[in-house]
Amino acid sequence: MDQYLSVLIFLLVGVGIVLFTFFIARLIRPHNPYKEKNQTYECAEAPVGNSWVKFNNHFYIFALIFVVFDVEAVFLFPWAVAFGQLGLFALVEMIIFIAILVFGLYYAWKKGVLKWV
Amino acid sequence: MPDYNLRLIIPEIFLFLWALFIIAFDLGTKRKNPKLIGYLTMGGIAATAVLLYLYHGGISFNNMFKSDPLALFFKVIFLGSAFMAVGSSFDIIAQKIKNHRGEFFGLVLFSTVGMMFLASAGELISLYIGLELTTIPLFILAAYYKDDRISVEAGLKYLVIGAFSSAILLYGLSLLYGLSGTTDIVMMKINLALLYLNTNGIGWALLMAIVMVLAGIGFKLALVPFHMWAPDVYQGAPTPITALLSVGSKAAGVVAFMRIFIDGLYGFADAVMFPLDWGNIVAVLAAAAMILGNISALRQKNIKRMLAYSSIAQIGYVMVGMVAVSELGVGSVGYYMFIYLFANMGAFAVATIFNDNTGSDSIASYAGLSKSSPMISAFMAIFLLSLAGIPPLAGFAAKFFVFAAGIQAGYTWLVILALLTAVVSLYYYANVIKMMYFAPDNPTIKLNTPLSANIVLIIGVAGLIIFGVYPEPILNFALDTARVFGF
Amino acid sequence: MLDLIIFYFAAVIAVGAAVMMIMQRNPVASVLYLVVSLVAQAILYVQLNALFVGALLIIIYTGAILVLFLFVIMLLNLRGEHFGGKQSRMGRASKIAITVILFAEMVAIFKQVAIPERIGTQAAAVAEDFGSVEMVASHLFKEYLYPFELTSILLLVAIVGAVVLAKRDKTEKMEDA
Repeated sequence: MDQYLSVLIFLLVGVGIVLFTFFIARLIRPHNPYKEKNQTYECAEAPVGNSWVKFNNHFYIFALIFVVFDVEAVFLFPWAVAFGQLGLFALVEMIIFIAILVFGLYYAWKKGVLKWV
Repeated sequence: MPDYNLRLIIPEIFLFLWALFIIAFDLGTKRKNPKLIGYLTMGGIAATAVLLYLYHGGISFNNMFKSDPLALFFKVIFLGSAFMAVGSSFDIIAQKIKNHRGEFFGLVLFSTVGMMFLASAGELISLYIGLELTTIPLFILAAYYKDDRISVEAGLKYLVIGAFSSAILLYGLSLLYGLSGTTDIVMMKINLALLYLNTNGIGWALLMAIVMVLAGIGFKLALVPFHMWAPDVYQGAPTPITALLSVGSKAAGVVAFMRIFIDGLYGFADAVMFPLDWGNIVAVLAAAAMILGNISALRQKNIKRMLAYSSIAQIGYVMVGMVAVSELGVGSVGYYMFIYLFANMGAFAVATIFNDNTGSDSIASYAGLSKSSPMISAFMAIFLLSLAGIPPLAGFAAKFFVFAAGIQAGYTWLVILALLTAVVSLYYYANVIKMMYFAPDNPTIKLNTPLSANIVLIIGVAGLIIFGVYPEPILNFALDTARVFGF
Repeated sequence: MLDLIIFYFAAVIAVGAAVMMIMQRNPVASVLYLVVSLVAQAILYVQLNALFVGALLIIIYTGAILVLFLFVIMLLNLRGEHFGGKQSRMGRASKIAITVILFAEMVAIFKQVAIPERIGTQAAAVAEDFGSVEMVASHLFKEYLYPFELTSILLLVAIVGAVVLAKRDKTEKMEDA
C-alpha cells in the first residue's frame, strides 16, 4: 500500500499546481465580460446554426472495434508482466487468443469498415 | 505441462472453425451463393454431431470442461435446433437479407458453440462465459432486419434485458464464490455444505445469491416473472432465430440451471432448508409460468406471439420435472427438452414458410390452408398437438414423465395445476388447427417450400412420431444423464 | 489511519459522483460524472490490493466505454430536453422502493460478513501478493486458461456484431460495384 502513497502525493501536487495557476491568473487578469465573448468562435463572423452537428457514424464503428482491441490489450498486460514465469505455454495460449482476434480484424477489413469514405 | 485432454473439445473447436470458414467463404465469394453457404452450415453441424459421437466422455481443463452424459445429451439438442433453424432460414436469406448472409449462419454457429461450452461447464466462470457466448450472437440475430422497426426493437430489448440479467446473474455467482471460496461447482457444493454446518445456517447472503442466480437464469429461460421480454422479442426477431431462441437458448438455460442448482446447490432444494429452499421458490414460479403463459396465449392473434406465450408455459412444465431433483426429474426434463426441440422447431419452421410465402404472421391468415397445402397443414397439426401433449405423439410421453417426476417428489398440487393448464393450452393449439381445416377457403395461399425446409419438417414429424411410439432409447439416455448428479 | 482517510475520500467521491450522474439533465455531464465515480472506485480497488482491477477500471471503463457513451450521445444528438420527461408517481415510488430494497439487502449482507466469529471459518487466507498483476496473470493463464480462450471468441462475436449492425448498407453496395 505504501508504494502507492507517492502516487497519491503526485496526484495532490498535480491538482494543486493547476488550482494554483488558476488562482494566480484570477489575480492578474482584467475582468471585463460581455455577451459576444460567449459565442462560438467563427473567425470573427457571426456563427450560423448550432454547434451540435450529426457525426459520421463511421466514427462509431471505429470506436466499437477500438473497445474490442482495448479489452484485448487488457489481457496482454498481465501476460507481458508475468511472461518470465509463464513460459512457452502462455506464449502459445496468447498466440491462439490473438489469432482469433486477428480473424476479426481481417473480417472488418474485408468488409470495408476500416476504409474512410 | 498438465494434461488438458484437448481431445474432448474437438467438436466445439471444429464448429467454431467452421463458423469462421462460413464467414470467410461468404466474404470471399461476395455473397453470390446463399444456398451453398446454408448447406455448408448444415453440413458443418452434422459433422460436429459425428465428432461429438467420436470424442466424448471425460474431464478436461481441471474440471472446467466436463464431457459427461448430461453435456452430450444437451449438445445433441443444441445441434438439432441449430440444424433446424438454419434449414428453415433459406428463403429468408434469399429474400430478406441481402447483406451479411455468411454472418447470419456464422452467428448461429457461434451461439451454438456457446451453448455447447455452457453445457460442459463445470465451473462458474466458464459457465458464465458460455452463457454470454450463447446470448450475444442472438442479440445481433434478433435485430437482423435492420430496416424493420419491430426487429430492431426486438434486438434492442433483448440486449438490454440480456445485459441486465447477466449483471444480476454475475452478482449472484460472485456471492456464491464469496461464500464458498471456489468457482468449481462440485467444490462449491462441498464448501457450502460445510459452511452451513459450521455456521448454523448461512442465512441471507446465500438466499440472495440463490434469488439473484435464479433471476439471472430465469430471464434467459423466460420464466415468469422474468418473461416480459419474450413475446416482443419472439415476434420481432427473424422466425428461425425465434425458434433457436425458444429451443436452443432455452435448453442452454435449462442445463445451466441444472449445473448450478441441482449440482452446486443440491443440498438446498428441500423444504427443510427454509428459507433457502429453492425447490419451493421454483415450484411457485413454475405454477405462475403455466397459468400466465397459457392464459395469455389464448388471446394472441399472431402465431409467433402465441408460440412465445406457449413456450413460457412449456418452461413451466419443464420446471415441474426440475424441482423434483431426482433421477426421474432430471431425466424427464432432458426428455421433455428433446421432444420440445422437434415440436417447437417444426411449428416455427411452418410459421417461417408461411411468412415467406404470404408475408403474414396472423393466425387468421392460416384459414383454409389445408385445402391448398395439405401436407404442411398436417405437419403443423402434428407439431401443435404434440406441444399440447396429445397421445400417441411424443409430447404426451414428455408431459407424462415430467408429471410423474413431480408426483414422485411430492409436488402433487403443482402437477394438478399443470394438468388443468394443459387442458387450457389445448384450446389455443386447436384453434390454429381449426383455422387450417375448418375455416372457409382462402384460395390465394399456395406454399412453396425449399428442399432444406422440407428436410426440417420431416425431421420434426419423424422425431415426434418415432419417439412418441418408442420413447425408450431416448428416455434411457436422458435418465442416464442423471448419473452426473449422483442420482 | 491514512488508509482510512483515503478510503472515505474516495468513497464519498464515488457515491457523490454517482448520485450527481443520475441527477443530471445533460447526458454529457452525466458521462463526465460517471468518469469521476469510476476513477474514485479504481482508488478503492487499489486500496483492496486489487491493483489490476483498478487499472482495468481506468483503462476499459474511463478509457474506452465512456468514450463510446460520448459517441452515442453525439451520434444521436441527445441533449437535455430529450431526457427526463415527466415521471409518473407510480414510477417514482417503485424506483424508491427498489432502491430501499437493494440497500437493505446490502446492509443485511454486510452485517453478516462483518461479524468476525461467524465468518472465522470462511475467510480464506489471502496470499502475500494477492491482486497483483503477476498473481492475476498466473491464475488467468494457468488455471483459467480455458475461460480465457473463450473470451477471445466472445470478442470476435463483438466485432462481427458491431460490423453487422453498425455498418450502413449503402456504402456496402458501393463496395460491391
